[in-house]
Amino acid sequence: MSAGDVLILNEVSKAYDGRVSMLDRLFGRKAKSLQAVREVSFSIRKGEVMGLVGESGCGKSTIARIAAGLMAPTGGEIGHPGRLRQQMIFQDPFSSLNPRWRVHDIVAEPIRTHGLRPKQEVSARVAELLTQVGLSEADGAKFPQAFSGGQRQRISIARALAGEPDFLILDEPTSALDVSVQAQILDLLRDLQARLNLTSLFITHNLPVVRLMADRIGVVYLGELVELAPTSAIFEHPRHPYTRLLIDAAPDLDAEDRSLHPIPGELPDPSDPPSGCVFRTRCLFATDRCASERPKLRKIGPGEVRCHYDLDLTGRELVA
Amino acid sequence: MTAPLLEVRDLSVTLARGGDELPVLDKVSFDIAPGEVLGVVGESGAGKSMAGVAIIDLLVPPLRRSGGTITLGGERLDLLTPRQMRRVRGKRIGFVFQDPMTSLNPVLTIGRQLTDTMRRHLPLSRNEARERAIAWLTRTGLPNPARVFAAAPHELSGGQRQRVVIALALCAEPDLVIADEPTTALDVSVQAHMLQLLRDLHEETGTAMMLITHDLGVIAKMADRVAVFYAGRLIETARTEMLIARPLHPYTAGLMQATPALDAAGVMRVKAIPGSMPGLGATPPGCAFHPRCNRSRDLCRQVTPPLADAGGHAAACHFPLRQEVA
Ligand SMILES: Nc1ncnc2c1ncn2[C@@H]1O[C@H](COP(=O)(O)OP(=O)(O)O)[C@@H](O)[C@H]1O
Ligand SMILES: Nc1ncnc2c1ncn2[C@@H]1O[C@H](COP(=O)(O)OP(=O)(O)O)[C@@H](O)[C@H]1O
Ligand SMILES: [Mg+2]
Ligand SMILES: [Mg+2]
Repeated sequence: MSAGDVLILNEVSKAYDGRVSMLDRLFGRKAKSLQAVREVSFSIRKGEVMGLVGESGCGKSTIARIAAGLMAPTGGEIGHPGRLRQQMIFQDPFSSLNPRWRVHDIVAEPIRTHGLRPKQEVSARVAELLTQVGLSEADGAKFPQAFSGGQRQRISIARALAGEPDFLILDEPTSALDVSVQAQILDLLRDLQARLNLTSLFITHNLPVVRLMADRIGVVYLGELVELAPTSAIFEHPRHPYTRLLIDAAPDLDAEDRSLHPIPGELPDPSDPPSGCVFRTRCLFATDRCASERPKLRKIGPGEVRCHYDLDLTGRELVA
Repeated sequence: MTAPLLEVRDLSVTLARGGDELPVLDKVSFDIAPGEVLGVVGESGAGKSMAGVAIIDLLVPPLRRSGGTITLGGERLDLLTPRQMRRVRGKRIGFVFQDPMTSLNPVLTIGRQLTDTMRRHLPLSRNEARERAIAWLTRTGLPNPARVFAAAPHELSGGQRQRVVIALALCAEPDLVIADEPTTALDVSVQAHMLQLLRDLHEETGTAMMLITHDLGVIAKMADRVAVFYAGRLIETARTEMLIARPLHPYTAGLMQATPALDAAGVMRVKAIPGSMPGLGATPPGCAFHPRCNRSRDLCRQVTPPLADAGGHAAACHFPLRQEVA
């Protein structure tokens, strides 16, 4: 923790009460509580893009909602040194925009709520924001349904910027988009990042995307932060076996080397996680100690890793 | 050269809207050889899914096939009656869609769906079908196949359901499988498992595959050959290694640059293609890509370039990229 931190999560945990659907009840199943996030600690410095990666269900959105103050943790604490104005951008540009509002009013809303501009200047500011995200002033008169997925995500970005945030939380902002639209949105975000010196938490399950966007990356598995390090260290010297397997799993553009690298085993039931190290059931290096003792997040090199061992995973083929 | 398994010639599909017939697919032609994997790639809305759906004759109004021929193993599918076509689907052509629930009946057990499909197309007794169904579930790598056999779809995870759908598509031993974005909704780790499974089963059964995806990474790992679609047209086709090493069409090159990847210096790069693909009925004259292309000249605005084949690598571009390199 340092003076430049804008957000600090300290051993943050979140347990959900069990969800029981109609079908579950029909089959006589009872509610199980679920530890969605377990003792996650990290801080974000001013001007930094912090990335969070992990498979779906690992707790990324829960961390995002806690970081945004939309949800209280059930354990640990969260601090915002210095007053923070934050905005959030979600994955689904279809459900996050009110279909009955015109784009102009959607973008103007945070300006009005926070009283950021005098009344007579709001329209000019909305026009400016729409242009900034690659839309036009005339688009303000339309409803969200008139736009494609990529354009709706631009509207979400304009709305978020309208609140003049000093902290932006992006939860899978490009996961619903196809590659070419994703590239346009990533370009736009990088450009805004550079010009507005935004601090942000960028969440995705896409490793190349987070490598492009983030200064530092946290890797999440089954509700736990298993590794946290600067982007180059994560990719060049991963310290946690899961980090390494996740990096290898995404198919690259090399058509000469056709090997695929699936992560061995299956994700355990999150309501019944393994004892000790959560990753041990899929880890090639697991020992008895990993089953009995939960590793602590410890400092190693420029980052931190939640593993008992100092594994050298550089350039090693982890999957036959 | 072996005769193609599937021959698609000048396939056109239109959408009726307010008295107009808007072109969804415009004279698309391609072949798939027996046992070959053809990757079909392009931005969303390019017409990839409609090509797959047109082949299995599942277009519903306002969409219809307005021209062209489709030949499977020497037989003209486009001349078959709907009843005959039903026998082709499932038996000779299997399909896997992005959402596994499209292919699964929510109220029947997995076992029932597999045995029904096999018995509809293969001469099997109830017991034989049951045994084979369990064998298929085992082959797809599902833990506890007997439990999955008795399970309803909602009792399985998304990745498990997609494995079941792959078993369903292959269990009647089709000659061709059409897989439309089979891994798009899945996480990287599940995606790699599913691609491995598709590859293993493809190698074991020798079935040909039309693999539709917008992910060039998937294409690079899986496809023998690639067809690139843009605004309802096929604009480039080549063997995968060739297409990725040396795309001829600026659109294909643009798609590659839009995929985040490391450059020669080991730095992550992405470069967007400006603008967006024209919507239905808004295709500009000449080359449909010209408004987004930094190489376009007058000719591109006036004349639609034909798909010109040069040694198995065909591109519909007046000024293909390789001319520059040479
Ligand atoms: N409101 C909720 N009630 C109960 N369980 C939930 C709720 N929201 C999420 N979960 C569960 O918590 C875990 C983490 O979910 P989430 O934070 O959405 O993960 P991610 O964003 O990484 O996909 C998952 O197992 C999910 O099913
Ligand atoms: N039922 C429909 N009604 C209107 N337009 C449709 C319908 N089905 C497809 N289209 C349009 O046809 C075009 C091609 O669609 P599709 O084949 O699904 O694209 P892709 O699979 O490449 O993303 C798109 O412009 C799409 O909007
Ligand atoms: Mg999420
Ligand atoms: Mg499609």
